[in-house]
Amino acid sequence: MPKKVVVIGGGIAGIQACLDIAEMGYEVHLVERTPSIGGRMAQLDKTFPTNDCSLCILSPKMIMCAGHENIKLHTYSEIQSVGGEFPRFKVRIREKARHIAINRCTGCGDCVTKCPVKVPNEFEEGLSTRKAIYLPFPQAVPRKVTIDAVHCRMITEKKCGVCKKVCQAGAIDYDQKDALVDIVAAAIVVTTGFDLFDASALRQYGLGACKDVVTSLQLERILSAAGPTGGHLVRPSDGKEPKKLAFVQCVGSRDAKMFQYCSSVCCMYATKESILVREHVPDVESTIFYMDMRATGKGFQEFVNRAEKQYGVRYMRSRPASVQPAHGESGVLVTYEMVGGITGQKTEEFDMLILCPALVPSRGSEELSGLLKIELDKDKFASTPSWKNPIDSTRRGVLVCGFAAEPMDIPDSVAQASGVASRIGELLQGVS
Amino acid sequence: MTEFKPTILAFCCNWCSYAGADLAGVSRLQMPPNVHVVRVMCSASVKPEYVMKAISQGIDGVLVLGCHVGDCHYMTGNHRTAKRMPVVQKILKDIGLNEKRVRLDWVSAAEGEKFQKVIVDFVDEVAKLGPNPLKEVRF
Amino acid sequence: MPRIGVFICHCGHNIASTVSVEEVVRFASTLPGVIVADHNLYSCSEEGLDSIRKSIEQNKLDRVVVAACTPRTHEPLFRSVCEQAGVNKYLFEFVNIREHCSWIHAKEPANATEKAKRLVAMGVSKAALLEPQTEGESSVTPTALVIGGGLAGLRATASLVAQGIDTHLVEKESRLGGLLNDISALAPYSEDASTLLKELVDEVKASNKAHIHLNTKLQGVTGFVGNFNVVLNEAGKEKEVRAGAIIVATGARDFIPTGEYGYGSVPGVITQLEFERVLKTGEKPGRVVFIQCVGSRQPGREYCSRICCNTSLKNALKVVEAGGTATIVHRDIMSSGTVWEELYRNASEKGVQFIRYMLSDPPRIHKKATGIAAEVYDEALGERIEVDADRVVLATPLVSRVDSAEVGKLLKVPRDKHGFFLEAHVKLRPVEFATDGVFICGSARWPSSAKETMSQALGAAAKAAIPIKRGKVVIEAITAWVDADKCAACGNCVVSCPYEAIEIVEQDGKRVAKVNETQCKGCGACVAACPNDAMQQRGFTTRQLGAMIDSLVKHALEESP
Repeated sequence: MPKKVVVIGGGIAGIQACLDIAEMGYEVHLVERTPSIGGRMAQLDKTFPTNDCSLCILSPKMIMCAGHENIKLHTYSEIQSVGGEFPRFKVRIREKARHIAINRCTGCGDCVTKCPVKVPNEFEEGLSTRKAIYLPFPQAVPRKVTIDAVHCRMITEKKCGVCKKVCQAGAIDYDQKDALVDIVAAAIVVTTGFDLFDASALRQYGLGACKDVVTSLQLERILSAAGPTGGHLVRPSDGKEPKKLAFVQCVGSRDAKMFQYCSSVCCMYATKESILVREHVPDVESTIFYMDMRATGKGFQEFVNRAEKQYGVRYMRSRPASVQPAHGESGVLVTYEMVGGITGQKTEEFDMLILCPALVPSRGSEELSGLLKIELDKDKFASTPSWKNPIDSTRRGVLVCGFAAEPMDIPDSVAQASGVASRIGELLQGVS
Repeated sequence: MTEFKPTILAFCCNWCSYAGADLAGVSRLQMPPNVHVVRVMCSASVKPEYVMKAISQGIDGVLVLGCHVGDCHYMTGNHRTAKRMPVVQKILKDIGLNEKRVRLDWVSAAEGEKFQKVIVDFVDEVAKLGPNPLKEVRF
Repeated sequence: MPRIGVFICHCGHNIASTVSVEEVVRFASTLPGVIVADHNLYSCSEEGLDSIRKSIEQNKLDRVVVAACTPRTHEPLFRSVCEQAGVNKYLFEFVNIREHCSWIHAKEPANATEKAKRLVAMGVSKAALLEPQTEGESSVTPTALVIGGGLAGLRATASLVAQGIDTHLVEKESRLGGLLNDISALAPYSEDASTLLKELVDEVKASNKAHIHLNTKLQGVTGFVGNFNVVLNEAGKEKEVRAGAIIVATGARDFIPTGEYGYGSVPGVITQLEFERVLKTGEKPGRVVFIQCVGSRQPGREYCSRICCNTSLKNALKVVEAGGTATIVHRDIMSSGTVWEELYRNASEKGVQFIRYMLSDPPRIHKKATGIAAEVYDEALGERIEVDADRVVLATPLVSRVDSAEVGKLLKVPRDKHGFFLEAHVKLRPVEFATDGVFICGSARWPSSAKETMSQALGAAAKAAIPIKRGKVVIEAITAWVDADKCAACGNCVVSCPYEAIEIVEQDGKRVAKVNETQCKGCGACVAACPNDAMQQRGFTTRQLGAMIDSLVKHALEESP
């Protein structure tokens, strides 16, 4: 019987960790909270610095992961409890009721078309709606629908039942209950990634108050061909094509009052987005308000130079002090401090403002660390104090990689994820 | 009269030049749409007959791209290519065609820009040579 | 008659914004043998694959052509879908209309569409002639080889031996540890670097699975994943070892300034690595000015070397703690993440001064009666100021090692324009090369912190351990075979084969060439050498390639002359 490993979090780090651990011959159980694996990377339009299409490179890995003989997916599932010790952790997984017989659902989407309930679409960062029965995104893995029990009228009010009527496969099950799965795992891997800090808490940046202030992740969705605007760059207030954009770096991060750390990836994704918008609307102009332009990876500085020279991106070393609506609901007025020997403030109008908020440990990671009995660092990321084993948490047999441990980009997360497989190989060598 | 746009066939080896062509694509390096890449495992597998077949049927130019000498994934494959293609060029000359219609070059997996340059140069050169006269014979 | 299905991918905007996918679909459906032509928003999504799978079953397809991105990343995925639908995976043909078409002809949609059609036609013509194949298997030498005994190589070796895998560790110098030997401390860890290094070296030395070769260089490499034959030159003596997988961990070196900022002429102007040695001695550092980006982030060497700011932060703190003063003259402080940003904050709080300079107006260094003065235009103050110093430390980038070119050549793995090794995919395959069985980690790929190096070394070790633990590798069915009827036993193929995989044998009373398939690596050199068209390569037969040429002639010259 192969030893088992539980991986928590189905983003790119979790997927890569699963693939390599499984290739080493262990049985891997991937626990993902949402209905599909893919994580944040699935939401991105392109990746820096090559502007390679994100889902195009991710999707094959998602599918390989789902199809691997040694990998079992537990999507729409959470960790209920963790007992035992290395190398025999007793992990209880709660597979939340999808209200779908997963082996019957064909993912045809007939039910989705007919469902009358619309709720904000999380995958699209609230820029569009989804139904109460839904597939989170077109390339979702597994390609199975889920009923959102909080919003389903049949489940909440016993009124409706349309999806059951149209489902030819007979996959709808309103009475389905959560299921508990117990696994004795030799090791546990935490790859829970990040969330965006809710920048509306910082009122000076105007998120929520000005319609044309969006987050960087919302812009990724706007730029995506499969996104809410079909890949057309339009601003939310009036659906018009913006001509003058601004990006604000370090919104809530590198900030003594909020999050002191640097989120690591924002300088580069803002540079990427400022290039991409130009490819969508050739005469659009972008300004990036930044503190330090951190272009430390392979090809990154060249990417920034290209953005500046070839795409006319204006890099402005300044932190905006306030953001106000410009004309009624549309556009924004940004007031910022001048630098470079010129003192005083300047107010400039932009058609649309993109905030790059602090990236914070994902929701629930603190509770999870409690279940796993691992320590967090002062920034609330999982603590990895060992110099020789930088993917070890503070508890033996519990490993952590990717953004859950520290802000890092995709290649660093992937390298660490592969490293997890080695570390498990080391820990379990000779363990019976 | 419309500008002559040559039709070009390119053999690229899987390990270096095809990867270089992919890199050119990923880097969005723009080039004329005349070149049609056929993937082979090694430039050494490109038979002279393929080149002659293409040229004799009216294809205006044939590119054979491999790994740099010394970098061949199969050790010495491209040494053979390096010896073979000049012979093909000589045959071309002997039958009264311009030998520049066939070109051998080396593009590594890291050379997206070189790939672009080779394509732009070759398309330009073949365009200057004008249509392959054998096209007329054939039709 | 074959039953071919053609599937054209939009790839979101990536293809469809340039190439008219609908038009290509219409065109494809007219090609001989094509039963069905369809398109997908993303062919590689589960939805796309599902529709291909269903189409294969519904239309009883026996050949599949997908026109999308590059076979170098996506071929295995589509091949496995064919297999799932009952079609042999070698009956699949990939047409690249993204990297080779839409992306490189973005401004010519009409011409790009025409070219995409021709490429699809060529692919279909080849697909019609494809034949089912079965794959072979080969065993794996249960030993790994790690090149470079610095931090990356040591950690990779430690991991492999801890997983029970015999590992050869090759180091060209007379001691292990690489650059780390010269370094005082590794932030954020409090121990001396030498203590940490010793711990790792001792661990490796203690294992009877680790075979350490000092004063050793790589001399020759032959073979493939699973079975590499490596010739080492160990202190002048040749030694041959076998390995199932190879890890490149050759590291980088620091750039030595060529006279910048008075280096070599003004006493007290030293490099960061030289300053590390000073710190190791425990000597009082005094007043220190650090200048960042010396020889990097400028024309000629555009890149940021990732670790120099953090090193200066760490050393500036040491200076302050030792009672000295420290000023960091920089362009941007590159302290990404939690740990480094905290170091930056600590440095500021503990009194390290920061002055930002512009590339157009770098600091000027001159000798004074006692010590050195650094003259800097302070952007925040808007005026030129002078900082007195006992030492000026030049933070120079890591650059590739000169001999990495040789290692690259021997292993047939590429390097980028700066000489750093080029991984298989910058995003998703950071520790692999495109060549199976060869992996990369540490600063040989890109300047990396100690922590990053450790993670990458573990990653590379996992990749190397996988084929060794599985004990076998699959041989792709692209090997050569002989059409005995046509073979005249001339022996050209025998001579052309770099692997000595072909011999002339007696068969049914006739002398013919015979291919040893486990030795054949599928280069096809014999195919081109054969004067009789008797040698053929699976998946690349002369008929298949000939059909592609004919197809190009037909669609480029005949139909739109």
